[in-house]
Amino acid sequence: MDLFRLTLSTLIARKMWVVVLLAAIFTPIVFPYFTPHETATKLLEPARAQTAWTVTWIIGILWTLSQAARFGDSNSRTGIGAYFRSQGCGPIRQIFGMWSAIMLFLLPVVAIAIGMCVLFAMPSDATEASMWVNTNLQFAALFLLTIGPLALLGIGVASRFGALIGYVLPTALCVYGLYGVGYLGMTIKLPGHNPVLEWVYALSPQYHLANLTPRLIFKMGHLEMGAFLGIVGYFTALTLVIGSFATLMFRTDPLRN
Amino acid sequence: MSNPAKAVHPASVKLSQGLGIGYGSLLAEVTEDIPLENGTHYLLARNGRGKTTLLKTISGLLKSVAGHFETTGCCQFVGDELSFDREISAKMVFHALIPAERRGEAFKLAEELELDVTKQFGKLSFGNRKKVGLIMAEYRLRDNEPNIIFYDEPFTGLDTPAREAVRQRWEDTEQDVLRIVSCHPDFDAMAMPSALLITDEKIFRGGNGKLTWADFKDRLN
Repeated sequence: MDLFRLTLSTLIARKMWVVVLLAAIFTPIVFPYFTPHETATKLLEPARAQTAWTVTWIIGILWTLSQAARFGDSNSRTGIGAYFRSQGCGPIRQIFGMWSAIMLFLLPVVAIAIGMCVLFAMPSDATEASMWVNTNLQFAALFLLTIGPLALLGIGVASRFGALIGYVLPTALCVYGLYGVGYLGMTIKLPGHNPVLEWVYALSPQYHLANLTPRLIFKMGHLEMGAFLGIVGYFTALTLVIGSFATLMFRTDPLRN
Repeated sequence: MSNPAKAVHPASVKLSQGLGIGYGSLLAEVTEDIPLENGTHYLLARNGRGKTTLLKTISGLLKSVAGHFETTGCCQFVGDELSFDREISAKMVFHALIPAERRGEAFKLAEELELDVTKQFGKLSFGNRKKVGLIMAEYRLRDNEPNIIFYDEPFTGLDTPAREAVRQRWEDTEQDVLRIVSCHPDFDAMAMPSALLITDEKIFRGGNGKLTWADFKDRLN
C-alpha cells in the first residue's frame, strides 16, 4: 500500500497526467472538425468515436507503458525496492502496488473515451444507442485487458534490464499484436507460405481483437456475448502468461546486487 | 522530539559465530556470537570490506554465504543510494509514507535539519536528499513492535549541525529502536559506545561503551 501511495504521489508530481487528460478530452472534440463535416455531417460522430479511442490507445502505449517502465527501473535502481523488501513487502506486492497506481491513472482516460462516445457521438435510434453503449463497455474491458498486462510486463522487464527495454518490449508487442499480426495473417493465407509463419501467427498476441474502433465507426453493433466472452477468455489467458513472466522478471534490486 | 514508537519487546539482532557474508564467495566472517539490542551500533570498516553486504544480509536482502543470524523486529534498510523521483517533493514523500499522526514530528525534524520539504527531490543537494530518506525511516517506525533500522552511510553529505541533530534524535529514541549504522566518521571525538568492526575478513564487536572513533580507526585494516 505504501508503494502504491508513493507511486500515486509521484505520478501526480510529474504532472503529465494533466496533458493526458486534456488530450483525452479535447482531441475528440477538436480533431473531427478536420474532416469534411460541412458536406457530410454524418462524419462528425463516428470521427469523434474514432478519435476518442485512438487517443486512448496512444495514451495507453505512449504514457502508461512508459510510466510502467520508468517505475520498474527506478524502483530497483534507486533503492526503494530494497527498502520496501527489507520491510517485508515482497516482489509480488511491489510490482502490483506500482501497477495499480499506474492503472488507476488510466481509468479516467478510458472513462473519458466512453463519455465522449456516449455524450457526443451516440446514435439517436434507441436500439443503436443501446448497442453503442455496450460496444463502448466491451471496448473498455478489452482495452484494459490489453494494456494492463503489458504495463505489468513493462515494470518487470524494466526492473531487470532498464527503462528503455522495459518500454520497447511491451510497446513492440502491443503494436505488433494490433497491426503486425494482421499482415502476418494475410501472408499465411497465400499459397506456398512458410509453415513456420503459421506457428508464429498462432503464438502471436492477437491484440487487434481488442480494437473495436471499426465496430463504432461503421455501427456494426456490439460483439455477441459468446464471441465477447471468448475474446475475454483469450485475453485472460494471455494476462496469466504475461503476468507470470512479468513477476518472474521483476527485481527489487538491480542485477548483480 | 517525541519517541515515535514504543515497542512492547526490544528489538534484537543476533549474529552467530561463523556467519559468512559475500556475493557468492566469502567476503567476511563473524568470529564470535554478537547479540545486539536496542540502541545505536556503528559498523566500521574500510571501503569494500563488506559493510553494505553485512547490512543487506541481515536485513534479508542477500543470502548469507554460511552460518546464520536472527533478527527480531520490523526491519528497514536505508541504502546509501536511496532516492526518490526527481519531481516529487519531500513533503509528498512524507505524506505518502509517514503515518498522519507522526507527520508533524517529521516536518519538525526536517525544519531542524534545514530541509526544504517543498523543493523537488531532484533540485535538492546531495546532503539534503540523504535527509529525506533518513527522516522517512525515522518516522515509519511501527507502534507496539520492535524496530530495527539499518543505515548505510547516512552521514555522507550531511553537515555537522545536521549530523548532530540526527545523533540527538537517535540518542532520544535509543530505548525504542535498534539501529546499525555504517559510516566513515570524520572527527575523532565521535562517541561510539557500541561498534561492529570488519577487518581482515573478520566481523567482531569492539568497544567497552566509552570509546570514540579515534580508538577504532587504527584497528581497521
